[in-house]
Amino acid sequence: MEQKLRQEAKALLEQNKVDWIIGFEPGSLKFTATPLITRDKNDTERLIINPFIVNNLADFLTGIKGRVGIVAKGCDSRSIISLIQDNKIVREDVVILAVPCPGLIDLVKIERLAGKDRDELDDISRDGDKVTVTVDGQKKEFAINQTLFDHCLACELPTPQEYDILLGEPGPPAPELEVSGQNIAKLKEALPAERWEFWQNEFSRCIRCYACRNACPACFCQRCFVEETEPQWVMPVPRWQDNLIFQIIRNIHVAGRCTDCGECERVCPVNIPLRSLAREMYGIVDELFSFKSGMDKEALPLMAHYEQEEAEDLFK
Amino acid sequence: MADKKVGKKDIAGLLEQWSQQFAVFAPSKESGVAAMAEWDGKDISFLDWYRNTVVPPKAIFLPPMEELFRFQKGKEGYNIEPPPKDKHKRLIFGVRPCDARAMAILDMTFEQALEDPYYLSRRKSAILVGLGCTNPCESCFCTSMGTSPTDQTNVDLMLIDIGDDFLIEEVTAKGKELIAKTSGLKGATKEDEAKAKQAKETAYNKVTRKLDTEGIKDRLLASFDDEEFWEKTAAKCISCGICTLLCPTCYCFDINDEMVKQEGTRFRSWDSCGFPNYTKMPMENPRQEKWRRVRQKVCHKYEFYPMTFNVIACTGCGRCIRLCPVNWDITQVIESVPARTEAKK
Amino acid sequence: MAQQSEWEPKLLGFLCRWCSYAGADLAGTSRKKYPANIRAIKVPCSSRVDSLLIIKALRLGFDGVLVSGCHPGDCHYLTGNYRARRRIAITKKFLEYLGVEPERLQASWVSASEGGKFAEVVTEVTKGLKEVGPNQLFSERKLDGTKTKAGS
Repeated sequence: MEQKLRQEAKALLEQNKVDWIIGFEPGSLKFTATPLITRDKNDTERLIINPFIVNNLADFLTGIKGRVGIVAKGCDSRSIISLIQDNKIVREDVVILAVPCPGLIDLVKIERLAGKDRDELDDISRDGDKVTVTVDGQKKEFAINQTLFDHCLACELPTPQEYDILLGEPGPPAPELEVSGQNIAKLKEALPAERWEFWQNEFSRCIRCYACRNACPACFCQRCFVEETEPQWVMPVPRWQDNLIFQIIRNIHVAGRCTDCGECERVCPVNIPLRSLAREMYGIVDELFSFKSGMDKEALPLMAHYEQEEAEDLFK
Repeated sequence: MADKKVGKKDIAGLLEQWSQQFAVFAPSKESGVAAMAEWDGKDISFLDWYRNTVVPPKAIFLPPMEELFRFQKGKEGYNIEPPPKDKHKRLIFGVRPCDARAMAILDMTFEQALEDPYYLSRRKSAILVGLGCTNPCESCFCTSMGTSPTDQTNVDLMLIDIGDDFLIEEVTAKGKELIAKTSGLKGATKEDEAKAKQAKETAYNKVTRKLDTEGIKDRLLASFDDEEFWEKTAAKCISCGICTLLCPTCYCFDINDEMVKQEGTRFRSWDSCGFPNYTKMPMENPRQEKWRRVRQKVCHKYEFYPMTFNVIACTGCGRCIRLCPVNWDITQVIESVPARTEAKK
Repeated sequence: MAQQSEWEPKLLGFLCRWCSYAGADLAGTSRKKYPANIRAIKVPCSSRVDSLLIIKALRLGFDGVLVSGCHPGDCHYLTGNYRARRRIAITKKFLEYLGVEPERLQASWVSASEGGKFAEVVTEVTKGLKEVGPNQLFSERKLDGTKTKAGS
């Protein structure tokens, strides 16, 4: 798959079909991949595909000028479609190099299972439904659904539907919805006041680095409302109240664009369970309006469209 | 005077003793995030898991957010109400040498460049008790940045892991005074000191990431206008504030007033040069483009700080590498700065 | 709860100028009784009400927010209230999930001729707010159990 990717990417640049290639190259730490954004055809030799290509590369599309060949997993492709729906990018300017994705390995889960930090592990390898972690020369085996990201366990589209070049055989989605939704289900069992207090506590850790927003392909506003000063909707100080309002509104603003790629939660340096917000919003949008973002490039954006009869029970 | 030592199992007792006199801070985990937090009076499990905190100890002296003062609008101008005075002096237990060095670097800004009473009042009364690393992270490169996993230079007391005990090195007068008043410590033997020496060497060798900073100041100076280099360097950056906000030597802050009716508060909070709004002015923004912001971040640490204070404002703690969402690696960037740039065009 | 008899909820109403605001006027001129708890803000259309305005009202201490616009199909701008409906629906559901009492965000369709309905809606919403009590969502004293992370 990697070889094919390198050839195709190189050819795209050589034949001047794209100006840029966006993909992954090996990262500088164990078990990491890092985005490679290049116009140099020699760089394509470094392109990789592995279970650690975690970033949603669609995030870079709105900031780049020219035609782009982009490596896309299923979730990334949905973000790309969503950007097309919103007229942020033009389909013709993107060459989608589709990666059939069997799910990404969540290093936080691996650390928990292995009882060691990621840099203390010798190896992590996947073979079908088993993941083998080698620590101090000893091998430990785990079931795949213990090690994948929560959002991967809820994946509805492992292989992009919309693509230009398919890099491998598409596999079936293997949703483990129950495991994936555990956190949300647990929260829903709590009383409203307890839930609010939960978020209050979580957001008291927030340092307002805005990594969640900046890593989110759906957050493409030129100017975010948190940066408005007239009026000042939220204070730029990391008080839990302001942090929480920022995140509530961010989620509402990306409703119908969020594809549950899980990046917000992954990038958070202080482990705020942001996917438990994003996924719930994803669910609400689906439940109320049967809308799934990034599935159909012809569909109108959620907030630019309506049906005559919907959600009436919420109105007096 | 011979060094003292303390048994690992006696650490709780030691902290308990110090709690009588200080607000003791120690590594603590909340939802998996390690930070220095007020010690709860019993938990010393951090001795098992602690490598370094996510939130650097600078947060104790330069908090993510603090109230500078409150104010009220009266008939004759404003009434200023200063923040309440600290009740306790702070003792920070378990500071890593990289972060201790970072505190010394921050002192240059907040003491030498301009006296910041808020920072200094907390900093001057505090005691830093260092804890030598035994298990540096893959991302650590402290040995290239003028310190080491067991460097005692910038702490008051330094603890070195020698098996069942910690050897205590008394570094400053403040540290010596504290130890003199502390009971329950054992005298260290020659053997302990040999063990400590060995431990230091072992830890030093465990730091495998190296960075050659030779001539970096000049290289950066020469590459300042190399737009192509900086654009390439900045390409994958997503302009979040992780690497700056959580950097132990970054000190940029923002000041905001919040006023409701006639009363208000002036806040100081962390800010980051990585944010486009950081330099936004009414007419223009000199760092609108991402590459200019990335360049600023790199140059501030490796060029401007050395120009002002003769020290690189990076201690190799590796947080920016570990925590970066896109694995933007400062060591790779520094290494890739061209030796000199040929005239473009 | 002991103060329930004295405490009166503060309700912020975002009323569409083409219908609900006129409906409120009609309720007044036709001497329909409704609680004085509502403070009305005239908006050009219910779709003007960004969720931000709703949250900000709660942040500023209003006990509840009412968004009221034209009946579906009757929007002065043809489709504004349909869009408002989507936005308010997700906001309402989402806030509920976060732990905000559903009574705190209410929405209704009230036309210019429905003075009676406006009075009813306000009465009902106010009653609901009295049941859930004062809004303490963002008050500082609720935060407890968290450790001090930096200098206290």
